[in-house]
Amino acid sequence: MNSSDAYVVFGKIPNSVRGAATAHGLTDRECLFSAKADLTLDGSVRETWLIVTATSAIAIGSEFQVPAPEPGAEAVVRGGGVTGPFPLKDVDRFRVFHTVGSAFLQFRIGGLYVDVVCFSNSLVDVFDRVRAQLERLHQGRELQPEALTKPRELICPTCGLPLPGRKAQCPKCQGGHGAFFRALRLMIPYRAFLALLLVAMLMRVALSLLPPYLTKILVNNVIIAKTHVEWLKWIVLALVGAAAGQMVLNVFIGLANAKVGNRITRDLRDMLQDKLVGLGVDYYDQNPTGALVSRVLWDVDYFGSFVDQVAQGFLMNVMTVIGIGVVLFTENWQLALWVMLPIPLVLIGTPIFWKYVYPRYFPVWDSQSKASQLLSGILSGIRLVKSFGQENRERKRFQGSSAYMQQARVGLAYSFAVFNPVMGFIFGLGGLIIWLVGGMMVVKAELDMGTLMLFFGYVAMFYGPISSLTSFSNWLTGFVAAGHRVFELLDSTTTLQEDPHPVRMPELGGAIEFRNVTFGYDPHHPVLKNVSFKVNPGQFLGVVGKSGCGKTTIVNLICRFYDVQEGEVLIDDVDVRKIAREDLHNHVGLVLQEPFLFRAAVRDNIAYGQPDAVPRQVIEAAKAANAHDFIARMPGAYDRKLGERGAGLSGGERQRVTLARALIREPKILILDEATSSVDTESEQEIQTALALLRKGRTSVVVAHRLSTLKNADYILVVDDGAIVESGSHEELMQLKKLYYKLVRIQTELTRLELD
Amino acid sequence: MAEGTTEEASPRATLIGVRWLKPDTTGIFEGSYSLLHCSVKNDALYRGVFAVRMFPVTYPDGFISLGYTDTDEKLREIGVIENLWEFPPEQQALVRASLDRHYHEPAIRRVYGVKLRYGQLFFDVETERGRESFILPWRGDRAEDFGERGKLLLDVFDNRYVIPDVQQLSPADRSRFTKYVYW
Repeated sequence: MNSSDAYVVFGKIPNSVRGAATAHGLTDRECLFSAKADLTLDGSVRETWLIVTATSAIAIGSEFQVPAPEPGAEAVVRGGGVTGPFPLKDVDRFRVFHTVGSAFLQFRIGGLYVDVVCFSNSLVDVFDRVRAQLERLHQGRELQPEALTKPRELICPTCGLPLPGRKAQCPKCQGGHGAFFRALRLMIPYRAFLALLLVAMLMRVALSLLPPYLTKILVNNVIIAKTHVEWLKWIVLALVGAAAGQMVLNVFIGLANAKVGNRITRDLRDMLQDKLVGLGVDYYDQNPTGALVSRVLWDVDYFGSFVDQVAQGFLMNVMTVIGIGVVLFTENWQLALWVMLPIPLVLIGTPIFWKYVYPRYFPVWDSQSKASQLLSGILSGIRLVKSFGQENRERKRFQGSSAYMQQARVGLAYSFAVFNPVMGFIFGLGGLIIWLVGGMMVVKAELDMGTLMLFFGYVAMFYGPISSLTSFSNWLTGFVAAGHRVFELLDSTTTLQEDPHPVRMPELGGAIEFRNVTFGYDPHHPVLKNVSFKVNPGQFLGVVGKSGCGKTTIVNLICRFYDVQEGEVLIDDVDVRKIAREDLHNHVGLVLQEPFLFRAAVRDNIAYGQPDAVPRQVIEAAKAANAHDFIARMPGAYDRKLGERGAGLSGGERQRVTLARALIREPKILILDEATSSVDTESEQEIQTALALLRKGRTSVVVAHRLSTLKNADYILVVDDGAIVESGSHEELMQLKKLYYKLVRIQTELTRLELD
Repeated sequence: MAEGTTEEASPRATLIGVRWLKPDTTGIFEGSYSLLHCSVKNDALYRGVFAVRMFPVTYPDGFISLGYTDTDEKLREIGVIENLWEFPPEQQALVRASLDRHYHEPAIRRVYGVKLRYGQLFFDVETERGRESFILPWRGDRAEDFGERGKLLLDVFDNRYVIPDVQQLSPADRSRFTKYVYW
């Protein structure tokens, strides 16, 4: 095979495969494209090549040399070797069949799907492309070279690292630094203030170095030699001045830390909140909200102490250690060297401890997050728990979660319980060394008493900051764990990027068109398959079908909660991916099956999408949604504060409030996704009455379970297994006597049974 | 018979319509293109059949669903084999071969190294197919519980790796693993 003439989807054909292909009558010139699979049909890890010509396809194992088959013999061999060749004229369909952890490219021959190549999930996207091109070839259409050779979406084209998601930024190439340095970057806006803080700290260190030196003069010149007794009051005054100066500077440093620390925390929370509301719906499909709440509330707290820890816990201590070190070596370098003896133990012990304790922070954070999620779940579903009498079970679950948290915290605390006393002992050795070596020097008259006192004074200050520096590592390990989680969230990318040059649509006609749309929440498992339909402005479109057939997916794509994988969703002939997000959401009103209301006043809930709405607009929207009458009857009327998720209202009332919320913006497209399926018949009747009036002048898309609600639809789509199987008016579909007819009959029968 | 199973279908199951495949009414054999075929007495011959475990963790050798693709391209179930051992050995072998093709979950025997880089865990492990490496997004949903004591790891491409029992790993391997996959 001449790979330079063929489109090689993945890899380079080895000579053994080339030879085997030639033995089966495939020449270099015939090969159109090829692709390498990583498994054999029996699941063994071995390269297998699919080679496609204009008329046939063959799969050849890279380590096998199989002679050409005898004429008439069956060519299919399992367990490696050769599968095929398959004349494409004998194939009527191609598919990628997903199993568990792998998939097969299959050809349908004579009504049977035959396995051609097997590959791991790493190559599913590659063979999806292969399948698409095989279909084109089979249909006599031209191959799409760019589709075969375009870079893989899940692998960084620069460094080859697998990406965290489709269209996601490569975490390696985006130049991400450690959490610590990124936190430092957050302080850039406060650099002037921080410079002032640094000056204050230098002054504070200088002042702290003064007392031991003054003590030396006091001991040598005033107390022992008695040569300058008059210095006593001045030295004491200087000591008082140094203490007072330190006090003032400490107050300033504390206030400065609090100011900048809290400001950074606030900035970070705002950034996280901004990020969270900007992320696509798909992000929330993968990340539990409890864990995200935990990051915003608890992890960010670590950043509040960042300035304090870095400035006081690290920088000031480093300055103190350096300052004292210089003084000690200047005074007596031999004794100073002895004082340094325990330092290597600290320098060796701290990194070892770091490596050991760092992973112990993970379960602590994890346990907190899980406990938060669990409790939130139990409390929000408390009615369900009680109705099933499962209080004990939930109690046990939470006890298990508490035990996990306890275990995680104990594991961490044990580490510190061992480390801190060991370090304390090592530091204590310094004082003993001074007594031993310094004492001997004093006895031999090699050192005066004042300098010995100076050493004791400075050693007390010397080991203190070093001890704090090791505590800093404690804090830093926790900070890095929290920082990693915060920055991971900030770096999360949504697959729904707004077009850099969006089309502004201040006015909208309301036409909706799906053009050959294929979409799956997992791209390899399409929920909608090549769906096409068009709704004219002002039309009433009904969408029906069994649960899980793809009805809500149609709604999700109109609202652009997700992007299609193939085809286009158009509004007024503009692709929704190009429409300015603000305009799209302003013109589309959505009412879901589950009426979600915020803990706020009724008027605030109605005006949620239009906060500047005047009372008159709120009342008109409520009236239009048939909600005004019951709201007016409530003691607080529109100012009535609602409880969690609209507690205090019935299901039907909540739904009418959400309908009013959708209507207040006068959307040109109104979507109701099973909006009346969870309310009683009377409430549904009231909502339907409201809707009949509201549909005028706007395009309505109604996904309904109760087919009676769609009788007046201009157009009904019947969706089955991701495809539109029937479409037309109610009367037309009833005449077809297919799936819609069947569904109507079933519902009629059910209604009759209920009445009986 | 597997633990927790019943000899006869419960009245409710009969009502729902689960068809329990028994050796006296079901024949399993290999047909054209080496595909699995299944004939059910008083019903039909199904070609291009595949087997799927209903309880892959708790009853890996029982409750095996046999399915096929119908002419409308829909996956249909023929029925469920409650106890595979009731079938003749050659039929058991065919079903097991089909299951082997359907499940690609190499079991991890050794964990040589786990490194955290760019928010992802780089694994260096040994499975039954040899030494290999993969990248696991460092998230709770990518390392799920597998039975009571195991873990199922889903790499960046959704490839699956199983540690059937974390406690059975050597202490050093377990320590490397639980250092990051602690949940």
